[in-house]
Amino acid sequence: MSDLTRRELLKAAGVAGAAAMLPSARPDVAEAQTTQKRELVVAQGGDIAKFDPHFSTSSNEIRWTFNLFDNLVSRHPDGKLYPGLATEWKLTNPTTWTFKLRPGVKWHNGDPFTSADVKYSFERTWDPKVATRVNTVFTTVEKVEAPDPMTVVFTTKKPDPLLAARAAFYGGQIVPKKYVEAVGGDQFNAKPIGTGPVRFVSWTKDDKFVLDANPDYFGGKPDFDRLVVRPIPETAARIAALLKGEVDIITQLPPDHGERVNSGNTRVAGALYAGLYVLAVNSKAPPLDNPLVKQALSLGIDRDVIVKELWRGRGIVPNSQIAKGDNHYDASLPPLKYDPKEARERLKKSGYKGEEILIETTSGYTANDKPMSEAIVAMWRDIGVNARVDVLEYSVRAQKNRDKTFKGLWWSDPTSTLSDPDGMFWRLLAPGGPQDYWRHARFDELGEAARFSVDEKFRGQAYKEMTKIFLEHLPWIPVVQPYEDYGLQKYVEWTPNPNQQFEIRRFAFKFRRV
Amino acid sequence: MRAVVAFLAARLARALVAVWLVSTVVFVVMRLSGDPVPLLLPPDAPRSEYARVAKELGTDRPLPVQYGVFLGNALRGDFGRSIHFRQPAAAVVFGYLPATAELGLTAFALALVIAIPIGILSAVQRNSLIDQLTMAVALVGQSAPTFFVGILLILVLSLKAGWLPTSGRGGWAHLVLPALTLGAFAMASIARLTRSALLEVLRADYVRTARAKGLRERVVVIKHALRNAAIPIVTITALQFGTLLGGAVVTETVFAWPGIGRLAIQSIYNRDYPVVQCVVFLSALLFIVINLTVELIYGVLDPRIRPR
Repeated sequence: MSDLTRRELLKAAGVAGAAAMLPSARPDVAEAQTTQKRELVVAQGGDIAKFDPHFSTSSNEIRWTFNLFDNLVSRHPDGKLYPGLATEWKLTNPTTWTFKLRPGVKWHNGDPFTSADVKYSFERTWDPKVATRVNTVFTTVEKVEAPDPMTVVFTTKKPDPLLAARAAFYGGQIVPKKYVEAVGGDQFNAKPIGTGPVRFVSWTKDDKFVLDANPDYFGGKPDFDRLVVRPIPETAARIAALLKGEVDIITQLPPDHGERVNSGNTRVAGALYAGLYVLAVNSKAPPLDNPLVKQALSLGIDRDVIVKELWRGRGIVPNSQIAKGDNHYDASLPPLKYDPKEARERLKKSGYKGEEILIETTSGYTANDKPMSEAIVAMWRDIGVNARVDVLEYSVRAQKNRDKTFKGLWWSDPTSTLSDPDGMFWRLLAPGGPQDYWRHARFDELGEAARFSVDEKFRGQAYKEMTKIFLEHLPWIPVVQPYEDYGLQKYVEWTPNPNQQFEIRRFAFKFRRV
Repeated sequence: MRAVVAFLAARLARALVAVWLVSTVVFVVMRLSGDPVPLLLPPDAPRSEYARVAKELGTDRPLPVQYGVFLGNALRGDFGRSIHFRQPAAAVVFGYLPATAELGLTAFALALVIAIPIGILSAVQRNSLIDQLTMAVALVGQSAPTFFVGILLILVLSLKAGWLPTSGRGGWAHLVLPALTLGAFAMASIARLTRSALLEVLRADYVRTARAKGLRERVVVIKHALRNAAIPIVTITALQFGTLLGGAVVTETVFAWPGIGRLAIQSIYNRDYPVVQCVVFLSALLFIVINLTVELIYGVLDPRIRPR
């Protein structure tokens, strides 16, 4: 630009002016549909702190540990399980799962991958001396054996229908036994070595994280030479970086910015979140111990308005406690109803005397938490409920969660870790679980039985009956199942994964080239 | 010379008390405001996990014991291990320091280089168009929130004009917008103060005398007026250097700049006590050093306040 003469500048301005009058005459748009790039740049909302996959469950980190490392089983963006480091797995008897491993896989340092690594990785998750953050993921496992270098046998304490699904999510990343034992946990965390499609190169805190493509990856070298991850916490700055073309993909795109991104050279791609946004209820605190009151609260929420206004249509109304896309989701159930008249009636029948009902919300911890709380409180006031919003800081919320001291209702965004009701509502609402504020003998009996049954037909029946009980008692008031949106350059072909994995392997990511 | 040593010794004693008080306040406030353990664990962790991690971090011990351990270690220059990064806290903080130093010093230099000439110019050409225009801009610069200035600069200079990168750290081009944003407030207040300090001095008798002696206007302004107006300018400049650190929290977040301001705010959210304590300790130290330097500069500028 600085080399241009004044005349050239004027000419350029004239061309630009003329081009602006013809909407299709912007050559950069057509060209930007393809690229020659060999470097993929991704901007996310926060930095990474740990690379040891057994020390993190946070989405900013598991996005990358799922690519540095492989799991035995891989969950693809279509929600189904595919072979990973294991090529096949089967139930050999109700408490035994046998996994056949992929031959010829090498660690990034050249060491061969064997069943000893798998046995070591699983045992490491629950080893009290290592004290990982994922030591509750495989509590169903009794022991892991490696009878030969390419076979692993899991014995479970009780029948576990979901072991393969558990192995596909966090905690299930396989780490190199020889390397970890040789260099120790701190060094492994600083210089991780995996089997995945990208290799660790360098990390500058809060600046950038650089990875190189693994040319020997068993699933094929990814469609780039280098991957750079940049933390850009501010939403506006993250979007500006995308619009200006400095980055190729951004995560955590709020719904109200979709329109800006869906124009010119960039577009929005979303996946329906594998989970729900619910108002969890302290069903021990009157008047919320009365199912009629909770039914009235649920009937009093106009979820369509919330989806349309606060999510700009980027979400759906749930029909139960089971997220769409999960096993045993019942598509025949109608979406949760809005009926203010019926709500008032049930409130009257319940004997509600105007006691205060409190929503304890964070501001910005989950998308739209505070705006949704305010909208819902207004809707509840309309049906005659004395409702109020209290805003908590995130760490206060975390403490209340631990101590189980929420007063009324609070936001929860349970992720379906296993694509199954067991890793979703039952993980949180089971006796002793983090949201154990309500008990029902039949519900509990069914939840336990379904957890330990390998008979999917029986499990389906059990979840059907549990849904009926749930919809009467409402230990959660489900509100919305949103899309999780990303902004991309149009020359990027990429399918987001519903469960916070960020899949850059060949089958999910490609640059469009000329 | 002895006077200077005594002066420094007294200041140093005061500085130590200040650092101790600041660390104690931060220690107490951080502990009162939240527990790091629930933030480290997945939401469905059982109670036994909480107890185990609390023990690992030492947060299960009574506060006075924790405080004793903290003070003892801090005296030896050990701020403990970062809860979030699993590394020594001091190493984490020092890793972030160069980026902040680069940004802070550039912003500060930018502020000085732009603000002082502008202040002088508008004082000399009082009520001219230049004076009114620059002072109006300075007023906006002083009252607009850093966050707003930052986003505005990104949208206009980077996204619309395409001249500069939107965020991140890299070459000098990456430095321009964050340094302007961070320096905006300091720039505005230094310019305004330079103008008013100079105006006051320009009315003084010795300036009239200097002019009567037939000295050139430039000599009058620079040598006679500016030197006498310097004390308040140095004071405000030093104070502004301190507020640059505070502004760094917002600026570094907006521009994804990997500095200690951003580290501090994230560590507060994560309740990463050791890192927060280390950052605050360093900031307190920096403030004290700045104040001390300013007092020494006073002595150079004005012989009347030299320690005797």
